Parts: sequence; C-alpha cells; structure tokens
Amino acid sequence: MQLVTVEEQRRIEAFLYKEARFADQSRYEDWENLVDEDMYYWIPTDDPEADPERTVSITADNRKRLATRIAQLKTGKRHAQLPVSPMRRLVSNIEIEKMAAPKQQGTEEYLVHANFVVYELQVQSTRMLDVWPGGVEYRLRQYPDGEIKMYYKKIMLVEAGEPILTAAFIL
Amino acid sequence: MSMTAQRPEARSKADGIDYEELIQKDRISGSLYTSEAVYRDELEKIFYGGWVYIGHESEVAKPGQYVRRTIGEVPVLLVRTREGKITVLKNRCTHRGNMLCVQQKGSLKNFTCAYHGWVFGLDGKLLDVPYPGGFRHDPAEYGLKVLPLIDSYRGFVFASFSPDAGSLDDHLGNGKLLIDRALQMSPTQEIKLTAGWVRHKIRGNWKMLPENDTDGYHVNFVHSSFGRVIRSQYDEAALAPEESLKSLTIDWGNGHTELDFSPSYVGEMAWLGLSDSSRYPEYVRAMEEAYGHEKAHEILAKGPPHAVIFPNLFLGEMNIVMFEPLGVNECVQWHTPLLLGGVPDEVNIRILRQSEGALGPSAFLLADDGVISERQQIALRSGDAWLDLSRGEEREEVRADGVRLGHVTDETTNRGFWHQYRKVMTRNAAATR
Repeated sequence: MQLVTVEEQRRIEAFLYKEARFADQSRYEDWENLVDEDMYYWIPTDDPEADPERTVSITADNRKRLATRIAQLKTGKRHAQLPVSPMRRLVSNIEIEKMAAPKQQGTEEYLVHANFVVYELQVQSTRMLDVWPGGVEYRLRQYPDGEIKMYYKKIMLVEAGEPILTAAFIL
Repeated sequence: MSMTAQRPEARSKADGIDYEELIQKDRISGSLYTSEAVYRDELEKIFYGGWVYIGHESEVAKPGQYVRRTIGEVPVLLVRTREGKITVLKNRCTHRGNMLCVQQKGSLKNFTCAYHGWVFGLDGKLLDVPYPGGFRHDPAEYGLKVLPLIDSYRGFVFASFSPDAGSLDDHLGNGKLLIDRALQMSPTQEIKLTAGWVRHKIRGNWKMLPENDTDGYHVNFVHSSFGRVIRSQYDEAALAPEESLKSLTIDWGNGHTELDFSPSYVGEMAWLGLSDSSRYPEYVRAMEEAYGHEKAHEILAKGPPHAVIFPNLFLGEMNIVMFEPLGVNECVQWHTPLLLGGVPDEVNIRILRQSEGALGPSAFLLADDGVISERQQIALRSGDAWLDLSRGEEREEVRADGVRLGHVTDETTNRGFWHQYRKVMTRNAAATR
C-alpha cells in the first residue's frame, strides 16, 4: 500500500462526492455508469469480516444482481421507493491508499475507507426522517484515460446487526 | 348488521374486548391492528399463553451455546446445557432483574450477572452468591426462570410461559407435516441455521407479517416490479391470469396456513429458481440415495413449504422466518437461510443468495411488502375500518379432515389465521409468568 498524491486524492474525493450525489438523487443510470463490470455491492450484517458464502448479508450483489436491482427501481413499480426517498448524505474521514498490485493490470487501483451518514425521508409511508450512519470501503480503478470506476463498495452500517428499516434505495 | 352506526374499535369492557364482534365471518375490525388494549391482550394470550417458536437446535449445537430471543416483550435465552439438553430461560437475573446476556449469541460455562456477581448454571440453577453471609433464601428457589413448557419437533424448539398450553403435538397438528417437508429437502433430513439473521423492522402491526406471508393475491401487484425484471418460479405460481393459476392457499388448521406454489412449478428445483435439476447432480444423487428415485424426484419437484406456523414461525421456502412484535405499531421480521445438511456447498451458497434476494430491508420482495404494511398501519390508525376476509369462501374446498383449500388469490389463509386468533383470544385463561 502506498500513500497518494494530493492530485490523486482530489480526483478520488471528487468521484466519491459524485457517487454520493447520484445516489442521493436516485439517478440510477448515472450511478450505474460509475460501476465496473466486476462490481460487488455488499451490506454485511454486524460482522463485516464474515464470509458471505457462509453468512447471510443484508445485500450481497454481484454485478448482475446489482443490474437487476437498478432495473427493478426503474420499473416505476418498486413500491418501496415510490416515490423515491429524498436523501442527503455526508461522506467524510476519507482515507486513500494505492494498491500495490492492481486486480486489473494496466490500471491504478485505490482502496478507500470513509464514514457516511445518509438522512432519508421515508416518504413512501411513514414520512419519518431515518438516519443511516456507517463506514464504507470502496475499491476504485482508474483507467489510463483517467476514467474512474468503482468495483467494490462495502457498506458497514452501524446498525447492521439490529432490526433495520426498509432500505430499497442505493446506500 | 349496520356497518355505519358504531365504530368497531376494540373496547375494553369490564369483561374484556369483544372479539366475536371484531372478528366476524367475512370481515375483521381494523382496530385489531392498532389498539393498545388488543396488543396487550395478545401478549398475554398468544405470546405468553400459548406455544411459540423459540429457535432451532442447530443454533446451539454445542454445550454452553446460547442465542437471545424475545418472546412477546420478554427476553429469553435458548441454551444448550452442559449435559447437551435444550432449555429456554428468562434472560433476567432473579436478584435485581438485570439482563444477563447482552450479546445476541455466545458460548459460556455459566451465566454471571454483571450487577452483583450472581452465577447461574446453563440449566438456570443458582450456583453462587457473592458475600453469602447476607443471603437468606434457599438457592433452589432463586434459579433463572425456566419456561414451564419446552418441547421440540425434529429440532424446532417451541416453548410456552403457561403450563396450561396443552401439548406441542396438539398445537402443531398438521404443522408437523410442513416441518417434515422442509426437512426432507436435505438428503440427511438435517438443516443448519448457522448463517446468522437479518432483522427487518417494519412500522406496522406484527399480524401483517403472517397474513401477508401467505397471501397469494398481492403477489401480482406488490411484486410486479420483481416479476418484470426477474424470471422466477413465481411467474407461473402467482403472476398469471386467474383461471391459469394452479397454486393453492391452504388452511391446515390451528392457524397454520400455506401458499402452495408447487402445483404450478415447471420442472425440478423451480423453488431454487432453476428450470431443472441439472446444475446440482451431486445433490440429486444424494437425494436419490436417501429417498429412492421416485420419492427423491417428487421432493425435488414439489420443493419446500411456504407456510406459517401460528403464531410466530414462517417456513419461507428455503428460509426460516420469525415474527416479533415491538409494540402495537411496529414489528420485526427475522430471517435466516435454511441451509441443508448433506449437500454440496454450492447449493447452500445459492440458498444464501436467494434468501437475500427475497427477504430483508433491501430485498426484491420484502422491501415492498414492508412499505405496504406501513401504509396499512397509517390508514387503519383511526380504528374505524373493516377489512374484508371473504374472497373465495364459496369456492373453497373443505376436505374430510377439515383442511381447507382455496385458489391462490383467495383469502383461505387469512381466514385460517383469524379463526385461530379468535379462538385463542376468546380464551379466558391468563398466562402465568
């Protein structure tokens, strides 16, 4: 693992804020365009180190299932997001490392840890403001042309082991 | 009967709430979902007065292992004792009422209270009181409260706070056949609830969970977005025109209800989202060796039950699901994948992923059900609604043994639930805790 330059840091932070904004605004196509083909979108329960092949997760989407999730949101019949939740999320405590050996050769890959809080207004039924705090681990890939894609997002909710409310939006 | 003159809300009269009035043949009062008095009464009569599902023996496989559960509002522990027996204890020190176990699960030699250091054995016996000079009681009378009735059926552990709840055998009735059908999915008749739990909180009354989980009518509407993006077994089972639907709603008696999708399954392993069983030849072979060719293929075609065991257990195909009330307006649906013994890992991994797809806060199915329950809870709040329960009553088939079979879109299952509910709620016996 290596430290990153200020320029790399700014590029990556800009990506994270854009990703957060697209998720907040339920801009599903724009958000999905940030995702690479080997994406893993994972919300474990309270043990974030548990093996997802032996332990149930809240969400454990490979690329194909994530595509289905987004397609479902886009049907206009996904009641749990009808209408979509107004959301604002804060992403902070960002720590970035460069991977010594990228998974995909010829690219630069970064491991990013951050904290987040999503404020979500549950307009589909109760109209209550729900708060979703957690930590997040991203793995990002920068291609030679400068484009950044996300290929891993692990969302570690503070309340992951507790009873949690319906969350059909992109976390 | 006048439908306008009086508000049907649950009234606390001197002699209690009039359930005969609130639960009629073809309709029920919405106040049953929103009345605090009804909820308190349900805790006493259903959760403390009758049999409830606690957990599965595989969750506490070794001596010293425990898992926490909440029955009604009472914290309990499912424990494997040093001798290897299963017991169910109140998770509460008999001295000053401190909760003993804080972790959801764990493994211990004894239970030691963090407040004043009292030590209890895994069987609940009081073993040690620090500074015994001031302790004036008989230790035998200060053990942890063991639930008076604890019994299990093929690894499924049930208990009751009331010694008067009758036998588990009587409570389960035809429910035993449903548990048998879940177990026979394994060539060794073993299931392992070892993958952990996801708990989905819904701001709706707990009864919406058992009702909705065996409601076949909503599937085509609440889950139309699922149907559009995923090819699944539910296409033939519940997402088709009325006359072509072959699935059934079944009232097995005692409040145990089933949505039987199997008549509409095409090929084997439809219940795993597959069109045939060619993907898992090793599993098929193990099943053939265990059950013989014909029976094995019958099981692989029919699949697991989709059935509620009254009041708090749902055999949700390849999931075990529990219902927990959190007051009158909130509940939690717990789920864990039903992992099978004697099958290749790939089968269990598929079951895990299918579980996440169907159940929980972000799932393709239950996220939508949860929101509908919450909308019902808001709309019912005023207490003046009547909910229809009549659909398909005249086309229901009643078997000689009393089991009722309905069209998949009919309310046979809802009627089965409410029939049992009324029976339990009109009993006078109060639970002893």
